[in-house]
Amino acid sequence: MSAPVRRVLFSLALLLWSAVMLYFHSSGRIQKYLAPDFRPILFVGGLGLAVVGLFNLLTAREPGSCGHDAADDPGHDHEATDLHPVTALLLMVLPVGLSVAWTKDEYSAAALARKGLYDAPSPTAAPLPAMMMQAQLVREDIEKSHRKTPDGYHEFNLLELFFAIGDRTVQPLIDGMKIETEGRWVDEKANNPQGTRKRLYRLFITCCAADSRAIPIVLEYGAPPPVFPENGWVKVAGTMGYPLENGVLQPVLRVERTLAADPPFEEHFLRY
Amino acid sequence: MARFACRVSFDSRQDFALAFLSILFEGAPFILLGTLISGFIDVYLPSGAMDRFLPRRRVPAVLVAGLLGAVFPVCECAVVPVIRRLVRKGLPVSCALTYMLAAPIVNPVTALSTWKAFQGQYPEWMTASRLLLGFLMAVAVGLVASRLPAASMLKPKVLDRHDDAAPSDVRDPQDHAHDPAHRDETCCHEAGCGHAHDEVPGGRMVAAFRSAMRDFIDVGVYFAIGVSITALFNTGIAPGAEWLDGLAGDRFLAPMALMVLAFILSLCSTSDAFIAATLDKFAWSAKLAFLTFGPMMDVKLVFLYQSVLRRRFILILAAGLFAAIGSVAIVWQQLWPNLSSMP
Repeated sequence: MSAPVRRVLFSLALLLWSAVMLYFHSSGRIQKYLAPDFRPILFVGGLGLAVVGLFNLLTAREPGSCGHDAADDPGHDHEATDLHPVTALLLMVLPVGLSVAWTKDEYSAAALARKGLYDAPSPTAAPLPAMMMQAQLVREDIEKSHRKTPDGYHEFNLLELFFAIGDRTVQPLIDGMKIETEGRWVDEKANNPQGTRKRLYRLFITCCAADSRAIPIVLEYGAPPPVFPENGWVKVAGTMGYPLENGVLQPVLRVERTLAADPPFEEHFLRY
Repeated sequence: MARFACRVSFDSRQDFALAFLSILFEGAPFILLGTLISGFIDVYLPSGAMDRFLPRRRVPAVLVAGLLGAVFPVCECAVVPVIRRLVRKGLPVSCALTYMLAAPIVNPVTALSTWKAFQGQYPEWMTASRLLLGFLMAVAVGLVASRLPAASMLKPKVLDRHDDAAPSDVRDPQDHAHDPAHRDETCCHEAGCGHAHDEVPGGRMVAAFRSAMRDFIDVGVYFAIGVSITALFNTGIAPGAEWLDGLAGDRFLAPMALMVLAFILSLCSTSDAFIAATLDKFAWSAKLAFLTFGPMMDVKLVFLYQSVLRRRFILILAAGLFAAIGSVAIVWQQLWPNLSSMP
């Protein structure tokens, strides 16, 4: 394969990666993939790849000069690759192309289960907001720091409700509170003999979707739950509790109302 | 890939695609940064420049060689051709080996990518530990190598050129034997080169971008393969994912398992932290072993090293690094058991 053809092929591979990166960034789909501080890096990286790819494409036939003498190292070649150019091109392009075609910007139920959707909550240290780490908290402090809905529920996010299990100061204060929260609605597959339970979750992203963890709570209806689309967004309100089930504290919301909701601007919880 | 596409379910495809793209998006800009730097170093940096940084005495020379990556940041793929050139010109093998092992880790691009990848997972600790362990391992190898005959390490062809060159510990600054009248600011040649200044205007820039593109393709191919395998394990599609998870809790086997994984994945040091950070079932020390062993020894490096080093020496080097890094990781975990993968 001639050097100019090889350069054109490699330039096209770079431009494809660049196009994918810039498309996901500009379309907003990147929110499902990366934490916010990585998004501008992706954008700059996409532009950089476009510049390198275009430069090499437009100069594919230009002579280049590496500055040092080839006689010094007869085998030296600044453009030789480890693999045959076509093999390298396919390995660069195929996985990216297939992934773009296959992705639905979210995980299946099986992958969510692997990411902790049905894991028992761990009573360990938790990334709670600074508000909750203050000593000598009383319920009034918590109520004051959470907006109240017109029908008397305090708005919490799932992260607070879930990780309160690991905080012996906060958990008794939230226990029994009337709260409202939002998340994605899925079937409850554990400890649900009566079929009266559902599960509400959101993903917590550290850097990217691959390192995300599910943050779930149990929804108890006491009767057959209403029907909503699986994995759809809902707002639920009710009384929060932390009963001991099978030897493990579980965050359980006794639901009093459920409404379909729009996804929030940032669907994932992010590190702070 | 096509066979894989036909056999897996729609759910698995969607899971693979999400994990694959997210890791790719996270790591690709850092690969570009690393390859642009290495491309420009390749074309613009005189190969004798590194030689001039080194002290004449053995131990200080090895120590400085371990830090040269901070000034000349290259990944492990780019460092081997550089080392081959330097060794042929008489650079002590101990310094060359130290630089070869340390530079992919002890450099600003790798430090930045590790710090970014481990946000929320003690990034300062991981970055500092990785750089420190990488430096110490490389210096240890360099000091051992300084007591071995070059013939036991270098391939015969490289050894012949090495012996013909002036030994570096008696280097004379005037060895850069250009005719003084002939020097110019853009000259990047080694001593004794028979070059002619017939450069095309802008030719160096073209060559630098081509070199950067070549590096990006070389690294990008391995990165794409590594991300694919990681995405398969991450989403539980790959056979053996459960088995690998089972090893995660074993404080002795977990670092070993991740070092084997690093060896197979052959990732670039500028982007491997993005893979390691997603291995959330593994302890912090196992990830440290992954991030230190991988840039020093993996499948593609075994092939690259064979252009400079004897096979027997590569085997001993691999075994020594595996044992040493694994031991340090286990001790590290004993000392700081509370450093978990998630806060």
